[in-house]
Amino acid sequence: MAPDEKKAPYTVQIGPVHPALKEPVMFTFEMEGEQVKAVDFAPGQTHRGIEWMGMRRNPVQIVHLTDRICGICGVVHTLSFSLAVEQIAEIQVPERADYIRSILHEFERIQSHLLWAGVAAHELGFDSLLHLTWRVREQAMDVIENLTGNRVNYGIVQVGGVRRDIAPEQHPAIEQCLSAYEGLLEKLLNLFLDDRTIAMRCRDCGILTRKDAIELCTVGPTARASGVNVDLRQDYPYAAYGDLDVRAILPEQHMGETHGDVFDRIVVRLLEVGQSCQIIRQCLSEMPAGPITAEEKLAKLLLICKKAQGEAIGRVEAPRGECLHYVRMDGKESPTAWKVKASSYSNLMSWIPMLIGEQIADIPIIVASIDPCLSCTDRVAVVREGQRSILTKEYLHRLSVEKTRRLQR
Amino acid sequence: MRLLPLIPELVRQLFREPATNRFPAKYLPPTVTGFLRDVASGKTRLIPPVPTPPEFRGKIAYARDTCIGCGLCTKICPSHAIELLPTKKVRIWVDQCIFCSQCTSICPKSSLSMSAEFLLADEDRYSENLIVE
Amino acid sequence: MTPAGIAVILGWCVFFSLFAIAGGLFLLGVDRKLAAHMQARIGPPIRQPFIDVAKLLQKENVVPANAISSIFHAAPVIALASSIVILFYLPVGSILPVLGMYGDLVLVMYLLTVPALAMVAGGFASGSPYATVGAQREMVTMIAYEFPLAIVVIGVAWRIGAAGLASPFALATIAATPIWTVVGPIGFIGAFILLLVLAVVTPAELSRIPFDTQEAETELAGGLLVEYSGKNLAMFYLAQGVKTLVLAAVIVAIFFPWNLSGFLAMPPWLAIPADLLFFLVKAIIVLFFAVTLVRVGMARFRITQVVSIYWRSLSVIGLFGLILLMADAALPALVGVGL
Repeated sequence: MAPDEKKAPYTVQIGPVHPALKEPVMFTFEMEGEQVKAVDFAPGQTHRGIEWMGMRRNPVQIVHLTDRICGICGVVHTLSFSLAVEQIAEIQVPERADYIRSILHEFERIQSHLLWAGVAAHELGFDSLLHLTWRVREQAMDVIENLTGNRVNYGIVQVGGVRRDIAPEQHPAIEQCLSAYEGLLEKLLNLFLDDRTIAMRCRDCGILTRKDAIELCTVGPTARASGVNVDLRQDYPYAAYGDLDVRAILPEQHMGETHGDVFDRIVVRLLEVGQSCQIIRQCLSEMPAGPITAEEKLAKLLLICKKAQGEAIGRVEAPRGECLHYVRMDGKESPTAWKVKASSYSNLMSWIPMLIGEQIADIPIIVASIDPCLSCTDRVAVVREGQRSILTKEYLHRLSVEKTRRLQR
Repeated sequence: MRLLPLIPELVRQLFREPATNRFPAKYLPPTVTGFLRDVASGKTRLIPPVPTPPEFRGKIAYARDTCIGCGLCTKICPSHAIELLPTKKVRIWVDQCIFCSQCTSICPKSSLSMSAEFLLADEDRYSENLIVE
Repeated sequence: MTPAGIAVILGWCVFFSLFAIAGGLFLLGVDRKLAAHMQARIGPPIRQPFIDVAKLLQKENVVPANAISSIFHAAPVIALASSIVILFYLPVGSILPVLGMYGDLVLVMYLLTVPALAMVAGGFASGSPYATVGAQREMVTMIAYEFPLAIVVIGVAWRIGAAGLASPFALATIAATPIWTVVGPIGFIGAFILLLVLAVVTPAELSRIPFDTQEAETELAGGLLVEYSGKNLAMFYLAQGVKTLVLAAVIVAIFFPWNLSGFLAMPPWLAIPADLLFFLVKAIIVLFFAVTLVRVGMARFRITQVVSIYWRSLSVIGLFGLILLMADAALPALVGVGL
């Protein structure tokens, strides 16, 4: 801040625990009246040491650990991790498994986006819409439960394929759910986009320009709402997406223009629910017959994984954006390195340009608008003698240079 | 109501049944144990929960007789919930179980299976209900 | 006044205080139940607010270290007491205002600001940034809705005065002559507009969505009330209930003052309870449209939007209604002059 500028008269701290935040993160706002002048945030409040736990388990066990990185993205993290391990161990996933993975992945997107829509409505004080969207979301949850056996933490993806097939008698239930959603989508779009109070609160609020979105490396719906045409399913297809017709959803397709505001993020997410329904339809009709896993015997699979050597990255388009797992295996039972980059990690920095200049009243909806998932994101917490310390970019860079030199020796 | 499209839906809902499943009772009873006692003695009725889907993964079931004690399940369990006993049988600590059903798929003798039981809340993590052996 | 007269008035005051608290909590329970059903939930039982208050009264009062203790403790008492006092000036059912001879509708308008002011004082005394922001917002909201409220009160009283009735501001007069009976067709529209304006002011008075910026759960974590707990919070909760009843009583007294005993002949011992019940029914209907349906059907506004809605849109609408009422009163005279 320039010295001649007036100092903001007071600070408001939101977090780590606050009704506006569904997961802990610490915000410090410099306020002037009701207006945000400067903002800083500190993630790292929910570090659970998942990677540490993973390094003491074999890949088959880690798959179930990845299920629990995020409370919502059960398929995303397991799929991303499995993709990485399959590349290292050179496992060829059967085609049917790829299609089943895509179907579950899209169901997850539907329920995640509907969950977000409900949370967004709640942040606006519109609880009826929260109850309505979450009631509608139950249908997707029921189908997921029917297909996988669990509502959350599906445990369905395994290295080499999937663990359960979709039987023909399950098709009617899926079909019923899809047609229900296709009918509901029109209604949801009407309820969210035509509601005057929602438009008043969300239009031109929390704007992220296209330039900022690109420079801050935002991903997923946050980037797409600012008009950036990125979608891993179209840019870098995995699972069955290479065979499918997936195009990134941009707000101008529906609204005719891009504002890059909270409203556009609602538009993108709701339209993606419709897109997911179409993808699932296509998958169901084109799904080939065949095995659902490359290696049915788990003991043998463990052996293959144990022998594998090398490193790989698994990338998946999560409901929130690109999710990335880096795995390195050195012929031991457990991986020597496992790094998770959840999609929210890329999106967090976009909070700052969005929040500056907005009012206190808009903080909850702007914070929620990128659909932050902080327990997925928090990978490190440095606590020394009870004191938290901040690691700068320069320090971390020096550490990695030192480590590289050590390895080269 | 074009500007507030939710209002007609809300008024319609006012005359419909709520979506909530009233398990186990419509309102929280004054004492839960007393309520369960009444249910057992037939004084009140328990409103049933939503049925579980086929192949639901609930509390683990163990067929002790067919178990050969190979220990594969202990190796595969992500949460280390299965303990191999010296008697060549296993003990499952259900409080640690994450219901992934990985052990049931690796078991060569199909001694392990997932039941549909899901009401597992307990005050004591070592209670009899939460140890399967 | 004779001692017996004072005793009667005191007796009625005690009765009304108890009625205000019980009736207010009952209305809150009904509001929660209706809102829940609209959201496809079962919702808490109607007696839930009573359970909540009973529980809160057993809890400890926690005072923040940097709060101004005296104001912090005084605010809830003032809020509750002043809310109850308003009811003494209002007709409830067929019971005429207990203190009707000492105050009229203008006094009621002033008294309505006292609970809000007490909350502001309590908020500022809490010494928390959330409560301070909430208190600022409460003041702004108060300033915003006072003008439309004044338009309604003056409009109705002026029209009744123009109809040639003595002391038009006295609530007894307003209750005895429903505004609908004195106006012509234009005035009917005008009065209806004023009713709508009063209905829109109600959620702000009661700090309910969409005008609950001062408490805004997701933004300020309860705003004004964030530091309150235990008995103090219970008193604010009671004040909220009483205020709900009072606002309903104001709307009922001005616009729907009819009583069952006016239509059906019944003995006096039956008339009072029957009219009280009928009053509660009217209050529930009024609150359903003014508070419950609005609060479940809308998103929360920003404070800037609250101000612009009240000052711009609602004031213009209110003034338009007022002009219609004036035209209604002036028209016969004008037509007469023309002839």
